[in-house]
Amino acid sequence: MDDFTHYSSKSFYLVLSAEAGCCQPECTSNLPKSMPAEEVMPVIQSNLDYMEEDKPLIPGVTVRAATADKLVHICIESFSKEGDLIEDTEYPNVMYLMHAWFISSEDLAETFIDLYQNCHETIECTKDVCDHLPSDAECEIQIYKAKICYAVRYWITHFPVHFDLDNRLKTVVKRLGSLLLSEGNTSFKELIDLSKVPSYDWMRNMSVRSSAMRHNRKVSLVFNHLEPLELAEHLTFLEYKAFRRIYFTDFKNYAITASLKDNAKLERSIALFNGLSQWIQCMVLSKTTPQQRADVIVKFVNVAKKLRILQNFNTLMSVVGGLTHSALARLSKTNACIPSETQKTLMEFTELLSSSNNFSNYRKVFNQCTHFKIPILGVHLKDLILLHTAVPDKIEGKLINFRKMAQLSQTLRELTKLQKESIPVCANMDLVNTLRLSLDLHYTEDEIYELSLAREPRNSLSSPSTPTKPVVFADWLAGVSPPDPNTINKHVYDMVEAVFKNYDHDRDGFISHAEFEAIAGNFPFIDSFSVLDADQANCHALRNSFKHDFHETTYFKPTFCIHCTGLLWGLIKQGWKCKDCGINAHKHCKDLVVMECRSKQHAGCNRRTDSVSNGPGHQDLTYSTKTDYGQMNGEGEFYDEHNTLYTRLLKTEEARDKLKEENEKLRKKLIAKDEKIKLLKSQMGSIRNNTLTYILEQMDSLKSQRHTEV
Amino acid sequence: MREYKVVVLGSGGVGKSALTVKFVSGTFMEKYDPTIEDFYRKEIEVDSAPSVLEILDTAGTEQFASMRDLYIKNGQGFVIVYSITSLQTFQDIKTMKEQIQRVKGIDDIPMILVGNKADLDHQREVPSSEGASLSLAWGCPFTETSAKVTQNVNEVFIEIVREMNTSPVKEKKGCCVIV
Repeated sequence: MDDFTHYSSKSFYLVLSAEAGCCQPECTSNLPKSMPAEEVMPVIQSNLDYMEEDKPLIPGVTVRAATADKLVHICIESFSKEGDLIEDTEYPNVMYLMHAWFISSEDLAETFIDLYQNCHETIECTKDVCDHLPSDAECEIQIYKAKICYAVRYWITHFPVHFDLDNRLKTVVKRLGSLLLSEGNTSFKELIDLSKVPSYDWMRNMSVRSSAMRHNRKVSLVFNHLEPLELAEHLTFLEYKAFRRIYFTDFKNYAITASLKDNAKLERSIALFNGLSQWIQCMVLSKTTPQQRADVIVKFVNVAKKLRILQNFNTLMSVVGGLTHSALARLSKTNACIPSETQKTLMEFTELLSSSNNFSNYRKVFNQCTHFKIPILGVHLKDLILLHTAVPDKIEGKLINFRKMAQLSQTLRELTKLQKESIPVCANMDLVNTLRLSLDLHYTEDEIYELSLAREPRNSLSSPSTPTKPVVFADWLAGVSPPDPNTINKHVYDMVEAVFKNYDHDRDGFISHAEFEAIAGNFPFIDSFSVLDADQANCHALRNSFKHDFHETTYFKPTFCIHCTGLLWGLIKQGWKCKDCGINAHKHCKDLVVMECRSKQHAGCNRRTDSVSNGPGHQDLTYSTKTDYGQMNGEGEFYDEHNTLYTRLLKTEEARDKLKEENEKLRKKLIAKDEKIKLLKSQMGSIRNNTLTYILEQMDSLKSQRHTEV
Repeated sequence: MREYKVVVLGSGGVGKSALTVKFVSGTFMEKYDPTIEDFYRKEIEVDSAPSVLEILDTAGTEQFASMRDLYIKNGQGFVIVYSITSLQTFQDIKTMKEQIQRVKGIDDIPMILVGNKADLDHQREVPSSEGASLSLAWGCPFTETSAKVTQNVNEVFIEIVREMNTSPVKEKKGCCVIV
């Protein structure tokens, strides 16, 4: 970059001998020589640093390809000496949005500094006598320096997130600041003030509870009582939270590698998408009669309507995808129970989201929508991948293909828009937490399909004879892994908190069995939530003391592994159960379990593992608390409310023991009463008999009287 | 002119979009704009019958389970792609036929198995014989391609059109998709 020779601020057609300062690896997809778009490109001189676009794609973006230095220079020249954008050019927006595709933010800022420092050589001051002092408003050099500051200011004010998330970038900009100060340019220094950059903490972490959103809106946590609008709004809230966290580089990495490896935020968003589809299928399939199943479908179609109104297309796609999934589409008895109105609506949505004509229906509608809207992630990811495959990053070996950047920017701007927008929905965090856990369930496509077959067996005449159990099941979705145990722990914790907060009105640590049942309805096919504390830190030293008496077991309801929290798969002998303490685990996990074996009868005096018995149904809601309160888990979640929950659990235990005693007393009373009832019943029986005989006698006597009268 | 909807399926990174791009960009295209309606549409002549193909490329959406069902519902013929340099991608597609059958509700599916990246023979993990035997089990054609050096690309799409032409349920299916 030191070879950066001479620039007049007006003309760009200069020769640069140096390679661009940044070098991003060559585009992996090699393009054939027959690619027409590349072939027709005019190549005048191979060592040009700039090529012009004949028909700009975006207003003001007239560069076809250039070196990184040149691109930065164009950005600077997009500003007038007063600091306004020249002719409302979009160039700086595209440049700042896309720069990370070909240069790091740090290097970009360095380029600004280089241009600033070298402008005495590169810029010609046309004034006859000039000392190039900061005070001289007519000096070309000073004007150029001012423009650099305006360009950086624009970057800071329009893309603050870059600065908040990147400390190295901050350092470089601060260096530019001290450079300005050393020259006495205090007015410029104020332009590049970083102190007003808002915090993007929510982006760094996978989830941070936002206190601002804790409106106490009264909602039901039970699916059956939820209004479609409430459900749609809360799903939108979850979607919004997951979607806006996906950063530019996450999209870029996915477009380039086509893999979710090391792309946790994108993976999370996709997991939410798939989780919702599956939850819908499970909610429908959990009902036993076709009419009940149809009712659930109708409800979700109503949710879809609301999602459409909220302009949340991604969740809409997930809901419609779930409702039209083959596991539900094949249920002919259920479909017969769905009102035609609902069927029509569902058809319309399917049409709207159809992949036909390159999703043209969706694209049209989406482009017409204004204000808050959530795009279908998959569709736009597909556009990114295709563009990246079809068009190389560089032209002539070293020039950055800026036309590609302009094209990509149109998609990426849409995808990153949510980072700047706020959501027009106020959410009840308790419902959000409950939903989050509901959607965290992981089944395979095959498991759900088998369930569907169990609900409405295949009609052998009309359906194909596809084998139900594939020999090798290759999980096409292998890229999406279930969330780690910490996340699930947290979600269970939040959910339990939420349930108690909403249903334990007298705060005694109890909810009624009926209420529990109702809430459990949100989690089809699960009869116990068991997430237990695994003291990961000490697991190696302590492993030997975690001896359990595991036996291979067949479960009749989906059950989860205590170690990895995954589902115990299969139809029979899905997992291993400890005979003493009752925990369940995968075969391959059972040796890794880091939990002491505490036999069931002693569980009452156990302070760590706590179970709340739900009456004679023997349904246990088991969860444990983290022992290490000071510790934050991997994702930076704080367990600050832990103590409260813990004390409440202890209280619960005591109360339960008391209740047990009382129960015993009551049962004895009950037996006594029962006997009394029996006695009374027999008495009543004899009274009734007596009465009947008496009436009959009376009637007989009356009859005989009438006879005699006649 | 008959219209055919072809879905390109396979794991991420096997070169689905490269195949698609190579095929559709045979026609002159001033600028690539993957968002326009006609981007994935191409006219070709198969056995002297002019045909229009609409390619439904699933690239980028592989992980979205319920979207795939919608794609399959929309499609008539299926190009199933794996990479010869990755055994995993070959394993991934083994149940694909069943999944398509499930969604379509019919047994006879016009499809073709494609091993892509044939130019990277030195990194080969899936022998040609493996692909051939899977295609035999499926009862569909098999070919190895290279989008990079444009080997067998058009042939794949010509072949899938032939498959759709010979499929006995084609008429019925065509109606279903249009309605």
